[in-house]
Amino acid sequence: MNWIVALPEIVLALSGMAVLIAGVFAPRPGAFQLTSMLALGALLVTAGLVVIAPAGVGYGGLYVADAFSRFVQLLILAGAALAIILSLDFNRQEAELARFEFPVLILFAAVGMMIMVGATNFMTLYLGLELQSLALYVVAAFARDSLRSSEAGLKYFVLGSLASGLLLYGISLTYGFSGSMSFAQVARALLSGTPSVGLVIGMVFVISGLVFKVAAAPFHMWSPDVYEGAPTSVTALLGSAPKVAALALLLRVMMGPYGHLLSQWQLLIEIISIASLVVGALAPILQTSIKRLMAYSSIGHVGYALMGLAAGTQSGTTATLIYLATYLFMTLGSFGVIIAMRRQGRSVETISDLAGLGRNDAGLALAMTIFMLSMAGVPPLSGFFGKLYVFLAAVQSGLWTLAVIGVIASVVGAYYYLRIVKIMYFDAPVRAFDRRSPSLSFVVAASGIVTVFFIIVAGPVTAAAQAAALALLG
Amino acid sequence: MPIGIGQYLVVSAILLVVGIFGIFMNRKNVITILMSIELILLSVNLNLVAFSGALHDLTGQVFTMFVLTVAAAEAAIGLAIVVTYFRNRGSIAVEDVNLMKG
Amino acid sequence: MIFAHIFFYVFAIILVASAVMVVTARNPVHSVLFLILCFFNAAGLFLIAGAEFLAFILLIVYVGAVAVLFLFVVMMLDIDFSELRAGVQRYAPIGGVIGAILFLELVLVLGGWKVSPLAAGLRLTPMGYGISNTDAIGRVLYTQYAFLFETASLVLMVAMIGAIVLTHRDRRRSKSQVIAQQNARNPADTLAMIDVAVGAGVKAADIRRPDPALERPGEVVVLPDEETHEPVLVAPEPRSH
Repeated sequence: MNWIVALPEIVLALSGMAVLIAGVFAPRPGAFQLTSMLALGALLVTAGLVVIAPAGVGYGGLYVADAFSRFVQLLILAGAALAIILSLDFNRQEAELARFEFPVLILFAAVGMMIMVGATNFMTLYLGLELQSLALYVVAAFARDSLRSSEAGLKYFVLGSLASGLLLYGISLTYGFSGSMSFAQVARALLSGTPSVGLVIGMVFVISGLVFKVAAAPFHMWSPDVYEGAPTSVTALLGSAPKVAALALLLRVMMGPYGHLLSQWQLLIEIISIASLVVGALAPILQTSIKRLMAYSSIGHVGYALMGLAAGTQSGTTATLIYLATYLFMTLGSFGVIIAMRRQGRSVETISDLAGLGRNDAGLALAMTIFMLSMAGVPPLSGFFGKLYVFLAAVQSGLWTLAVIGVIASVVGAYYYLRIVKIMYFDAPVRAFDRRSPSLSFVVAASGIVTVFFIIVAGPVTAAAQAAALALLG
Repeated sequence: MPIGIGQYLVVSAILLVVGIFGIFMNRKNVITILMSIELILLSVNLNLVAFSGALHDLTGQVFTMFVLTVAAAEAAIGLAIVVTYFRNRGSIAVEDVNLMKG
Repeated sequence: MIFAHIFFYVFAIILVASAVMVVTARNPVHSVLFLILCFFNAAGLFLIAGAEFLAFILLIVYVGAVAVLFLFVVMMLDIDFSELRAGVQRYAPIGGVIGAILFLELVLVLGGWKVSPLAAGLRLTPMGYGISNTDAIGRVLYTQYAFLFETASLVLMVAMIGAIVLTHRDRRRSKSQVIAQQNARNPADTLAMIDVAVGAGVKAADIRRPDPALERPGEVVVLPDEETHEPVLVAPEPRSH
């Protein structure tokens, strides 16, 4: 048994337990601070291990460490670490949030995400997904004295477990009709002759379960409510790493076991992608809450990422991976700015609260402008490259309709991103925000640097994404 | 297995449909929604066990054990969230809450 | 053989009927009881399919723990049942339509039931002959599937942490024993010898009952009565002020 391939997960899980014990025995007021720091250390060590751990299949074909899982796992760890840094200051200012279990739950969610992107078996996939989801349900309801937070947790829970149920039903049909849970074996069963109707229906159930988890368009109802209701530091987490992990999982499942059914699922993914693009372009225009706007905007981004999957080629997979990498940092940076929106110790959440930020806090306004322009896809910024690659992949696969709708959606979407920039620079300033904490400035600056200077590292990142896509398809 | 796989699949399909129907019908009553989710998971387990018997393969039964474990954990978390929600609101009706619309 | 069929249909019909009752019963307590009936009959179906171990796990874990957990919560929360029924009439048609479509689709699947011809060769853990079901599961669960077993244990731990985080509160009025403090206690800290003149009242001698706000571990203090918020007089431990 080649157990060492899962070394990063094992180390992260064990350090999660160690951090939990440290939190229990730490003196009360500083426990949250201490466990957050320890959790950041654990994430850093794990990232190092992900880079150096040997590749290979382990545990009798249940888990694989390859270039694909490595690429996505590094993104997940970065997302979790930045989300913890964002929560450092925010959680201390909100009642009930600065409890030491918070970073511990994020660590276990990260373990779940890492396991699910390395899954080569439907059982591993399900257990990793549930480990992640259960930890996130709790984190969404973490502000237990706030009605909004517990309502967000409840909605997230009910729809998340419905999604798991559908996914499981699909897995059971796939198992029954192919005789195996292993991705490789299912792919082999599909090679022989025409697939039975049962397998196709099972696949549709699996797709709907996973699409529910990434909150793509027909299944996006929960997303704005949860984004708005959950504490902002939790929203930053929910919008970043879990989305990346679930989309990567979708890539692995669709290109792996169901790869031979491409002709059957391509249209389905295309429709979901178009629906998400439309919702992501039109729904945000009416929003007044910046958190709801981010929710709809992330639905749109999922639509672009699915475009690469719909292409069903190696270049499509590469494009989706690059898109996910750029999306992660843009989102976390914008949430850093949103968390900084605080007046007299209370967080404010409407878009009009940003008015005059350009005069009150030039640095923060510049950062927000960078993130908004990047999300709109303005050339030298990272978001442009993500969009460029997915459009190219879609065109190469002959999905002209999808590519054209994507371009139109990004033009329409640019309207509300630019509106935010306009509000920040041209509207009359209201009172200034409270002084932002250094941890917040760090996340905003780091994400801003990644977003602006992506063009410099575009070469290596593309090479890594290509290697990841090759590992998935080759 | 003395019974054909087809009968098992029909029973589990009915259970799945009843579970989904229950979620749509009891949109206000979270406890019944949680029970409907349990029904969906039970239908999955029935499927897995039936396939496992038909294929003479233990994998389905092993997976059923894991699904049972996760379902128990899920029920615990779900009920904990319901309890916090009830403490804040004094009711478990979800739908009439429009705090977060618009 | 015929018995197996009879039992299958008995279990299946009761299972489906009680599942319908779970989602339609007016009273959540009845729903939980029907859910228990569901689990019993599903366990019967598991037995017929040859999964003895899982059948009993289903009874022990589900009926014994999960269903009871549901009952606890239903009983603990003071729920206005009539309010919860309000939307049912409105949503029944939508639910019915969706259910019917889904069911038809699934019937299509059953019509097309065809195992892949390779399935027999693709099985991961074919059943052995001559060993019991429990034995067979035990042989693979801790070896071939140890990774999943450990992941499942992490899931359970997250559930435990989550339930505690969400619902446990430090109750200010509950007391815990601190052994170190008890051991460090000195008679001089708590005991005062006072000469009380014959006939003098408690007040004159400045002897009061212990103040609940000043309680220390190990002291016998009865807290104020909850209803009246009046301090309750107890046998006083003498303490000088």
